[in-house]
Amino acid sequence: MASIGIASSPALFRPRTLTEALELLATIPGARPLSGGASLVAMMNAGLIAPTTLVSLTRVAELSGLHVSPEGTISIGAATRHNAIATDGRLSGTTSVLSRAAAQIAGEAVRNMGTIGGAIAHADPGLDFPPALYVTDAMVGIASNSGRRYVSIREFFVDWYTTVLRPGEIVVVLEIPKPKPGVALYLKHARVAGDFAIASVALSLTRQGEVRVAIGGCGPAPLASPEADRILSSDMSVTSVRRAAEVLAELANPVDDVRGTADYRKLLIPRMLTRALQNGVAAARVAA
Amino acid sequence: MNQRSVVTLTINGAVVEARAAASQTLLTVIRDQLLLTSAKRGCNQGACGACTVLADGRAVRSCLSLALDCDDKRIDTIEGLGEDPTMQTLQRAFISGGAFQCGFCTPGMLLAAFALLTNNPRPSEADVRYALSGNLCRCTGYKKIVEAVLGAARALPRQVTP
Amino acid sequence: MSKHGDFGIGKSAVQIEAQEKVSGAAQYIADLYRPNMLFGAVLQSPHAHARILNYDVSSALSMPGVRAIVTGDDLQEHWRIGAFIKDEHALAKGKVRYVGEAVAAVAAESEAKARAAAAAIEVRYEELPAVLSPETALASDAAVIHEKASEYIKVFDTGTSGNLCSRTSFREGNVDQGWRDSDLIFEARYETQPQAHVSLEPCGALAEMDANGRVSLWSANQSVFRVQANVCESLGMPMARLRCLTPRIGAGFGNKMEPHVQPIAVLLAMKAKRPVKLILSREQDFEMVRARHPFQIRFKTGVKRDGTLVAREVEVLVDGGAFADDSPGVLGYALLMSCGPYRIRHAYCHGRLAYTNKMRFGAFRGFGVPQVTFAGETQIDEIADALGLDPIEFRLKNLKREGDSWLGGQPIDSNGLAECLDRVRKASGWTGKRRLPNGENSRRALGVSCSAHISGLLSTGAIIRLLEDGTVLLNTGSVDIGQGSNTVLSQICAEALRIPLDRVSIASPDTDGSPYNWGTTASRVTYMTGTSVLRAAAEVEQKIKDHAAEILECAPADLELIPGGLVAVKGISHRNISFAAVSGRAHWAAGGPIIGSHSWVFDQKTIDPKRASVIGLPFPQIGGFVFNAIVADVEIDESTGKCRVNRAWSACDVGRAINPQMVEGQIEGAFVQGLGFALFEELVWNGAQIANPSLMDYKIPTFVEAPSELHAIIVESKDPRGPYGAKSVGEIGINGVAAAITNAVNTALDVRLRRLPLTPQRVLTVILERELTAEAARAQ
Repeated sequence: MASIGIASSPALFRPRTLTEALELLATIPGARPLSGGASLVAMMNAGLIAPTTLVSLTRVAELSGLHVSPEGTISIGAATRHNAIATDGRLSGTTSVLSRAAAQIAGEAVRNMGTIGGAIAHADPGLDFPPALYVTDAMVGIASNSGRRYVSIREFFVDWYTTVLRPGEIVVVLEIPKPKPGVALYLKHARVAGDFAIASVALSLTRQGEVRVAIGGCGPAPLASPEADRILSSDMSVTSVRRAAEVLAELANPVDDVRGTADYRKLLIPRMLTRALQNGVAAARVAA
Repeated sequence: MNQRSVVTLTINGAVVEARAAASQTLLTVIRDQLLLTSAKRGCNQGACGACTVLADGRAVRSCLSLALDCDDKRIDTIEGLGEDPTMQTLQRAFISGGAFQCGFCTPGMLLAAFALLTNNPRPSEADVRYALSGNLCRCTGYKKIVEAVLGAARALPRQVTP
Repeated sequence: MSKHGDFGIGKSAVQIEAQEKVSGAAQYIADLYRPNMLFGAVLQSPHAHARILNYDVSSALSMPGVRAIVTGDDLQEHWRIGAFIKDEHALAKGKVRYVGEAVAAVAAESEAKARAAAAAIEVRYEELPAVLSPETALASDAAVIHEKASEYIKVFDTGTSGNLCSRTSFREGNVDQGWRDSDLIFEARYETQPQAHVSLEPCGALAEMDANGRVSLWSANQSVFRVQANVCESLGMPMARLRCLTPRIGAGFGNKMEPHVQPIAVLLAMKAKRPVKLILSREQDFEMVRARHPFQIRFKTGVKRDGTLVAREVEVLVDGGAFADDSPGVLGYALLMSCGPYRIRHAYCHGRLAYTNKMRFGAFRGFGVPQVTFAGETQIDEIADALGLDPIEFRLKNLKREGDSWLGGQPIDSNGLAECLDRVRKASGWTGKRRLPNGENSRRALGVSCSAHISGLLSTGAIIRLLEDGTVLLNTGSVDIGQGSNTVLSQICAEALRIPLDRVSIASPDTDGSPYNWGTTASRVTYMTGTSVLRAAAEVEQKIKDHAAEILECAPADLELIPGGLVAVKGISHRNISFAAVSGRAHWAAGGPIIGSHSWVFDQKTIDPKRASVIGLPFPQIGGFVFNAIVADVEIDESTGKCRVNRAWSACDVGRAINPQMVEGQIEGAFVQGLGFALFEELVWNGAQIANPSLMDYKIPTFVEAPSELHAIIVESKDPRGPYGAKSVGEIGINGVAAAITNAVNTALDVRLRRLPLTPQRVLTVILERELTAEAARAQ
């Protein structure tokens, strides 16, 4: 029953460079970065937050865009829109999991507005990018006015709606290792198109049979484990899949919410994993 | 701190000045100040699509856009697209196809369809359902909307690809 | 399909408002402005049940831009409203009875200022125990929600007592004899969930008082007359002092039939002495207004081994929420319709409606029938399966036919249900084997249901005025909420007077000028108002002929209307005179302006006391009958339990389709709304609070969930009483959707699901139980 609108309005800054933006975020107490607006403005409209200062990143050109290095690694600017990621053909092979996840976020208009950096900074457990980023072994580039650091995506989410970001820090880039030839998919189970995931599976499968898998929607961070990846990379028998699912389920810490209970989400893990692997193998056969 | 700043917006091809506080959305400015009321406040959360406008030709949620942050884009609402042949084709298809009932979702729906046809002039039915899935309709059950968009696509002249 | 009438009937005329809707020019309540207007905001109750001790509005009043504040102290105790039981005030008075209830309201120079000031109003409460389920409400030690219930005015014998809001029972034949006569008896309990309307337009109102103290009120509504009556009753105003008008309406489905914020907007406007516009947020629309009743149903059916239905008993317990609203009507109507469209000698349908400390539940498309049809029609399939009979054959064997009457004795004037079943059977390719080929991870089957509804109820009127130039102004007071009634009524008028559709204008509903129409609800506008239009047109025709007879020097009986706005001597069409000429004479020379009017109330009795005994009947006269059959093709993803409707066929007997495209629109829209009800929509309470009052957490079907093939099939049985044989179609299309989908899922998975919605979680649970049973069997 929160009210719409705030009686007193924040200040809005619109820097053109990253340096300017980081300076503002470091020096103004309570300043919040604004990227796509999909999460932040929605919360402001609902009266859930009332920031005193907003620093819009929309004019910081260096934060946007996808670049491929000569070595083949991919850098995705934090302010790159979901739709740009969904349609970028350079995210091929195992990294196509990012495009597939992006394509299932919300609706078209939100995909035109939301950004990957803004999304992961918000850290909603039902988000689509985190499990996909896990599977690509992404590194998160974080900047503040005192420097830059890189954190593995697998260390980035620390608790419900909480990341390692400190005050004054923002995500500036996602660094993705060079794509490997193979297939990838993002299996999302939600009540309706565009809803947050009840549970999801991000999967990549190289031509050599190397498997990477991560489960979304089942805890404050995606579920992933090198052991599960090892088990599935060696074989995908029913027993192996069951063991891998058990390993992942051990890490699960889902909630009860209107989309489903924690118990239901745990039940989904082995079933959706099986389904994802079936789809992956079939896709690999077609690709071959 | 109830400061309102002046912002220069490009709306339907015209440059207009508006005053907005930092927390005010593009939706409230275009509705309350510019009196362009076709964009609707259905939820104010970006979930229903009734507030959809075009920003540089792409469908966006005006309820999630801060007005002061929109001065660098060309914003189009349906009021400004009345002369556009693609929009007119869509509107005719919607009318003859019964693709609306109460009409509240219709401006947003037409803009979303317009954006789709601009980028993909020959969409499949699945393409239409996917592209429009962020626009909710409670009245029609969607069937006649899909048929109208596909019909409009067929009626548009084939582009000669250079 | 019927052939086109000359001018209107049978033609899929486009909506009269089409151009404004596609161009964005249509003005809904939130789009209206009045000079010097203020904005309203509401303060809601944080408690489910509490006494209001006092209000402190001082700091709110001193906030910038605030011009007026109203609370329950501005109302008198006896200013109570309610469609069946007058138990509600415009704002909470003395007590709050649900979390979210409107407690106070502010008018200020901007919406943001109004909302901030509302949040600054301090209210002191004394909390009372909250009653959160019908069972606890009806327990002897429950806190009483309406202590003064015995003083409330009630429009029928409700049996109100404690937290029992109303009770109804229908009895026909003798069910005890019926059980004895049955070879097999089936009994089970079913449960359905609250569903939110989610009209795309949230509720709102704009009120303005003039210098004489008369108030004009625009609002999102389904009846300007119910708004007028309710507002005036709730504010102690004489009805002549309030004029209610209608902008374009962004759908209703029942949410806007009874009042929402209209009384509050008027109260603020009168206090501020400036116009006030109050628009609810989406969250408030979820939390403050009304929703579909959750039902608990016990259904018992007795049948002979040869498949003849013998007896049915239906018992329901309905949660009404904090105020009665339309609930006693929903209880009574659902029970009346609950046995389904079958010949059954013995029936006993009874139930109770309880007050609870939740948001009121109220009218929502189907009015209780989707809930009881879910139970009754899934049980029918269960019985058919047990007897080894095809579900469609079983239904046909027991179907009410032409000449039969409904439970209670009301004759069914036209009955196309058998044809509906036949058409969906053929169109879907239905064979005895309802299971369709499995996918690798899915199961799939067809499911069927059938249902009935009424068209009609209460009163309406129409006025047709022949303007000086021979064009026509139609005024009915019916609100078009998007379904197209303005267009359909104009088509009826055009057809009757044999003029092109564009020579008919339809006036906007206005309590100052329109004849009474109870409302756009109960699937009644085409049937009831359409009939009035036809009769009013007949009067206009007669008056035209009377004038023309004098001009043409013949008898009125020698004349006929010919196409194009002319009246001519029968057989000598060149001896004619135009409507314009006749109208000119009438206005300036003789007789006076030609005006035709008609008003009526539906008058067929619901119950024949020789056939049925009834306690607590909310409506002694109800309406004509419409029918529907649905076949749905449903596929279940066995890895998650998620169900998808691939294809659906829905045949509705609408008597006569005045506008076939609009009829399809109703059938298609109702199907998808029913799909949401069946598979995932649920307003969830977390203790006393609604857990998901937002479109992020409460989801309705999108383009993707709607079936890829949705076939609306129109059956025309030609009702003898309806206009050109037409009946109305607003609600019938939703009643059987959940049942058809559930029957398909039950068949595909070989289970009996008895609770809605069929969430992936519920379905996966039964899939797992089945897997475990199968595994255990294999292990042996």
